[in-house]
Amino acid sequence: MEYKYIGSRASGSMSWFLQRISGVVLVVVMVGHFILMHYNPEMGHLYDRVYERMQNPYYQMLQIAFVVLALYHGLQGVWNIYRDFKLPSWLNMTVLSLLILLGIGFGALGIANILHF
Amino acid sequence: MYEKSPTNEWISNVVRYRKFSGSWAWLLHRITGLGLTVYVLVHINTLASLQEGPEAFNAKMQVFMQPHWLFAAWILFGLVIYHTLNGIRIVIIDFGRGAKYHKQLLYGAIAVGLVVFLWMGYIIFFGHSDHDFLSYAVSFFS
Repeated sequence: MEYKYIGSRASGSMSWFLQRISGVVLVVVMVGHFILMHYNPEMGHLYDRVYERMQNPYYQMLQIAFVVLALYHGLQGVWNIYRDFKLPSWLNMTVLSLLILLGIGFGALGIANILHF
Repeated sequence: MYEKSPTNEWISNVVRYRKFSGSWAWLLHRITGLGLTVYVLVHINTLASLQEGPEAFNAKMQVFMQPHWLFAAWILFGLVIYHTLNGIRIVIIDFGRGAKYHKQLLYGAIAVGLVVFLWMGYIIFFGHSDHDFLSYAVSFFS
């Protein structure tokens, strides 16, 4: 398979579907996130409050899912925008690699922040 | 005959762009999406101070309570609320019969978004003295 066709050999229907599903889940989690962080700002801005919440393993699991879904949805979105432009194949490979590396790197950092507790 | 360079043509196309509401919704969805993706990365990086202990984290969070950062948070919320409501509109169009009334959905999203945006501005700038949502809601409606 030539690199020239990277990103266009698949129909894109699965990434379209996953973008919708992850988006719907993010809407629900995001509403909870904003209520938690903004109706009571101490909850998000004081270490002790964060520490208390993070003692609950189910809350940690939810946060990990939040980080992974947000990064997936965001970076997949950037790739979707990029694919609308007809650019040289070396640039396609570079951008795709960069997005994957950003996802892995910041995903690891986000999960490390959560599992630190 | 005068021929435009590709750059001039691109600029004049952008300036003359007077397309449909759906195109504007699409364009704004992409711009807000790019902004929010960058923000998610910055947000995760900022929260890495949790690993440095209570003092480092609390000090960093105090910085973001300054008025100009609160204003930035409010603008950020504007991106979030547009992307969220237009995202719901997209799901209704894709999975439901939203294509038949996508314009009404957009106008509805803008109306609801403006109300929620202003409400969030009130909470960010004036609501923080009252930390209890329930008593805040009760006092708001009573």
